[in-house]
Amino acid sequence: MSQPRRITDSFPRRLRRRGPGRPPGRLKDKKDKDKVQVKVQDSSCSPSQPAPDPALLEMLRRFDLSWEYGPCTGITRLQRWERAQELGLSPPSSIRDALLEHRDNPDVTYRWVWDGMV
Amino acid sequence: MFSEQAAPTAQGLLAPPSAKAPTFPRVPVSGYLDCSQPFQLGERSFSWQYAHIYAVRLAGMRPGLERCARRRWGNDIALRKLSELQAGEKCCVVGTLFKAMQLQPSILQEISEEHNLVPQPPLPKYIQPSDKLILEDELQRIKLEGAIDVQRLVTGTILAVYGSEQDDGRFLVEDHCFADLPPPLPWNGPSSNRFVLLASGLGLGSVSGEALLSTQLLVDVVTGQLGAEGEQSCAAHITRVILAGNLLSQNTQSRDTINKAKYLTKKTQAASVEAVKMLDEILLQLCTSVPVDVMPGEFDPTNYTLPQQPLHRCMLPLASAYATLRLVTNPYQANLDGVRFLGTSGQNISDIFKYSSMDDYLEILEWTLLAGHISPTAPDTLGCYPFYKSDPFILTECPHVYFCGNAPHFQSKLLQGKEGQRVLLVTVPDFSATQTACLVNLHDLTCQPITFSGFGADSE
Repeated sequence: MSQPRRITDSFPRRLRRRGPGRPPGRLKDKKDKDKVQVKVQDSSCSPSQPAPDPALLEMLRRFDLSWEYGPCTGITRLQRWERAQELGLSPPSSIRDALLEHRDNPDVTYRWVWDGMV
Repeated sequence: MFSEQAAPTAQGLLAPPSAKAPTFPRVPVSGYLDCSQPFQLGERSFSWQYAHIYAVRLAGMRPGLERCARRRWGNDIALRKLSELQAGEKCCVVGTLFKAMQLQPSILQEISEEHNLVPQPPLPKYIQPSDKLILEDELQRIKLEGAIDVQRLVTGTILAVYGSEQDDGRFLVEDHCFADLPPPLPWNGPSSNRFVLLASGLGLGSVSGEALLSTQLLVDVVTGQLGAEGEQSCAAHITRVILAGNLLSQNTQSRDTINKAKYLTKKTQAASVEAVKMLDEILLQLCTSVPVDVMPGEFDPTNYTLPQQPLHRCMLPLASAYATLRLVTNPYQANLDGVRFLGTSGQNISDIFKYSSMDDYLEILEWTLLAGHISPTAPDTLGCYPFYKSDPFILTECPHVYFCGNAPHFQSKLLQGKEGQRVLLVTVPDFSATQTACLVNLHDLTCQPITFSGFGADSE
């Protein structure tokens, strides 16, 4: 017996793929791990989706920090945009288009964070 | 009046039995629509902070308040944000109120070890003359003084103040206004007398069983097993029973077993198990005869934060077999026969009672309606789910019947609004203490109490 048999040998563990619409609460804990995973996927399919340019990220950051649309922590940018829309605050639709275009990229969908902490 | 519904040919109890027993069919349920979808939480996530609910509340109520302010102080008043204030300029500001109270229980004070303080015991009221009011909008906050009753108002109210900023940085209020009654709903009430029975605070599982006789009398009256044909024909006009919370007594909440040793508590079970079994039997008797809506309350086995979710049907196996049992949320909103009901089990009103100088439950109920929000103290002193998208406690339409459960006494009032709103305000008393329930007549929006008392050894 080279090594003791483990139950995971007969039932191999399969990490569940995270979908794009996971609630942000769970994602907060495993954000870095997920970022690494998604980045790996991104580079594999990068020809189909161009990386967002810094101007876009800057526009999204300004959207986050504008006080008219309420707090930005803990919710995705799309959720915040839709909430502002329902409250009649008329957020610019270019932000929504940008968010939907890059919905797989966590740098775009979630609020700009520094050092991985919200 | 309820007792006038008796059929004219009804015979008393002392008459000889007739050959064919008369039957009184219950008035059929013509229209029921459950409107409490905003209070039903699907999947819950507690990752959001409470800043969202305050921001959404202010953004949602701001347009209505600006309209009210223009109506009250003229169309040409200046509506300013706090960051745009200029000293001495008369203007109107819309914002959220915060009351800084010295006696407000604070978890930080309790766990502050260097002070070695004993935690403050729960007081009936936490107001003090030294409380201050602060108005906050999206960006800044400012202290308020002037023609505003500090003791009466509570944290979380959205209001509009009219006045000017002083040189010392405080805002001198000359007048203030709330969101006022929400727009009225069209009236489609029934054409004949229909009654809804409102009861709350059944308090099952308490140590003394005095209220059990009254509870059984209540069930017997509603199911038509009490009295002669006159009373039975009256009871046939009751279309629905709403139990507004606190079905279990506070005694079932005792958690002494946690502190005791395991060997002492091995065979004990929670007091709420026995109480829920009793509740199931009572509901079974009611459900066989009349539709019942059961709202959870402060001491019931459901979640603590508002909006409380319905009790689970697995706890009531006998009664859930009947389709007439509806387990609903707290707060509860529904259209019964064209009449819009909205009510809570009383936690919002008793929380405002603790932090305001208002003493009368009916006055507080009316005030919440005029302030346009069911429970303004919600995340601050009353537990609330962290909504982020919209605040479901904002009143958008004016109900026809607005009730709160577990009040100390029965009170009711018909409120007339400027835009034709007619609201019946009802404070449903605690049944275990007062043995009183309420009958609301849907036809003309009147309400009368009905008291069940047994003659005990100590009654006069």
